[in-house]
Amino acid sequence: MKYCLLAFTIVATITLLIPGLAEGHHGYAAFDTKTELALEGTVAEFHWTNPHCVVDFDVKDGAGHIRTWHGELSSPVHLVPRGWTAATLESGDKITVTGYPGKNNVPSIWVTKILLPDGKVLKAEVEK
Amino acid sequence: MIIAPNRLAASLVFFTLSCWAVAGQATPVGQEGIPVTDPLVIAKCGDCHARDERGNMERLSWGRTTPEGWQDALKRMILGYNVPVTPVEARLIVKYLSTNHGLAPEEAKAVLYDAERRIHEETNLPRGGLGNTCTRCHAFARALSWRRSAEDWKQFAESHAARYQIPSEATATFLAKAAPLHTPEWDTWGVRKSTLNLAGRWLATASIPGHGKFYGEMQVDPVGDDEFNTRVTLTSVQDGSALVRTGRGAVFGGYAWRGRSKGGVPSSSYAPDDLASEAREVLWITPDQATAEGRWFWGQYQEFGFDVKLQRPSPNPTLIAIDKTSLRADSQANRVRMIGYNFPSEVAPAELTFGAGLITRRIVSHSPSEMIAEVDVAADASPGRRDVVFRGSMMPGALAVYDRVDYVKVTPESALATYGDATHSRGYQQFEAIGYQRGPDGKLRTADDVELGPVDATWSLEVFYASQGSSTDFVGKVSPAGLLTPASPSPGNNFDVWVVATAKSENGQNGKPLVGKCYLVVTIPAYTFNGRRYVRDLNKWVDDGPVSRTQ
Repeated sequence: MKYCLLAFTIVATITLLIPGLAEGHHGYAAFDTKTELALEGTVAEFHWTNPHCVVDFDVKDGAGHIRTWHGELSSPVHLVPRGWTAATLESGDKITVTGYPGKNNVPSIWVTKILLPDGKVLKAEVEK
Repeated sequence: MIIAPNRLAASLVFFTLSCWAVAGQATPVGQEGIPVTDPLVIAKCGDCHARDERGNMERLSWGRTTPEGWQDALKRMILGYNVPVTPVEARLIVKYLSTNHGLAPEEAKAVLYDAERRIHEETNLPRGGLGNTCTRCHAFARALSWRRSAEDWKQFAESHAARYQIPSEATATFLAKAAPLHTPEWDTWGVRKSTLNLAGRWLATASIPGHGKFYGEMQVDPVGDDEFNTRVTLTSVQDGSALVRTGRGAVFGGYAWRGRSKGGVPSSSYAPDDLASEAREVLWITPDQATAEGRWFWGQYQEFGFDVKLQRPSPNPTLIAIDKTSLRADSQANRVRMIGYNFPSEVAPAELTFGAGLITRRIVSHSPSEMIAEVDVAADASPGRRDVVFRGSMMPGALAVYDRVDYVKVTPESALATYGDATHSRGYQQFEAIGYQRGPDGKLRTADDVELGPVDATWSLEVFYASQGSSTDFVGKVSPAGLLTPASPSPGNNFDVWVVATAKSENGQNGKPLVGKCYLVVTIPAYTFNGRRYVRDLNKWVDDGPVSRTQ
């Protein structure tokens, strides 16, 4: 399991750190871009950082168990033109995250848009 | 050096074609070139760069740049075209060109972070694909470190396009507008520039991530034409430890200091962040030659460094450092230590001011170089930064007032560290935990937040997706002082990691310790992808070209 996770990390890192590639389809290598997922949850942490922003959010399943999902977004330089700021999300915010799930059975998602508590939708996907 | 026959032949062909191409250039129309008058430059460059009756040399007279820009250009000429130049001649050529075909101080300051090897978020990238055109391989500042005529930008873009597949026309159009040969700053700098006079004593302050603030003096002694020996003594504000560094520097263009220095006392045991390490020095001297600032740096990726400020001593009392960075509202008798020069023998509390809501209760002690005061902060003192003032000497924004620490930010917020290999030393990363107050808008992580200074924290690592509590030894270790050392030997992979700072004494509103995180990628130093080689640079991977070119 450990190596599976590491492989995921390596692919994501190499593709996202190469300037330019994060904008292309290689940036999604670790995610199933044929499947779109929408998850309702509560923001645990939001990190406005490079090489890409991260939103960790708690999702309650049908049995009431809470699982923390790791949402990856593009970098700040690409999100700013779409209306994002470092203060867009705060811990405790109720959100709906839409995106492509990770391929390796880890609770991860490449975020394409987020429905904010005020009903506003912010796109996060870099145009392909 | 043995050169393979086919490579030699190719070089000769390239050299010949380049000379032909240079010689065949039409003189740019509508712009005045910058004549070259230096006999050495004419002798060494004139074979390929023809000089016209006005003294303009092809290419050279239609571009301006920093010392680093001219140094890189000269290296390309030496390596690519076998230009015979001794080290002394090379230095003289770079000096002449960066002085007479350089940047004005204001132009250079805007891109100084590139020469300082400082990680800097570039927010001035052109829209569309052009931003990535440059930053795929280097900082955008490298392009803006040049000023060229429109025709020269066109030639530059076309030759760059052939090698790096960039959109030449759009690039040339943008750069010709953004970085023209003639600017008001450059045209006036030649007149404004005064005779260089840096000799003597300077007051110095330095901030070193992981080591805190330092203060002291630098002695500058001339040893030649615009060259100087230096000796700097620095004392830690935090613990009083002292260090001495000696070095040598040269000034280009009347303001650009480039030097080297190292600690006078060899360290008994090597540590990568040893403050005695040999460092490169980059300083920007203000046009009035009264102050200077810059970075002295070292490390495989220049990841360690002093942020340095120098100022000329004044006969008047001068504040230069303060031991506290913030005070809590509704607190009394806070002991604050000020460091400076020429403090008088009599000091009244009212002479030392800290801004609205703060009162100097009494002066505890004072000497010509130090004052300790007790300061009360009112319960209703509004959060924000305050100037510290004593008899006309001011430290702007030196002290912050806060009601509570709202969050902790780990700096840098994103970072690279690198495993070593046969040809690269490890790349380290020093982290700091910085406290913040939410600011007047009440929202976290907005522009008005108040920085409160370093917070004591414990440090840990979390590898992305790894189960909680699992070992992170294969990534590396972070010291109690926040220094990340990548593992050795290299595992040969990359890892995405959170570097976590947990505040020792500051809790959030939920009663739990405040936590800050940095997104760290620990990488291998180089790899190949789709036939191209990528190498780690300052804070990112850069495209180093086709594998065949670098093998």
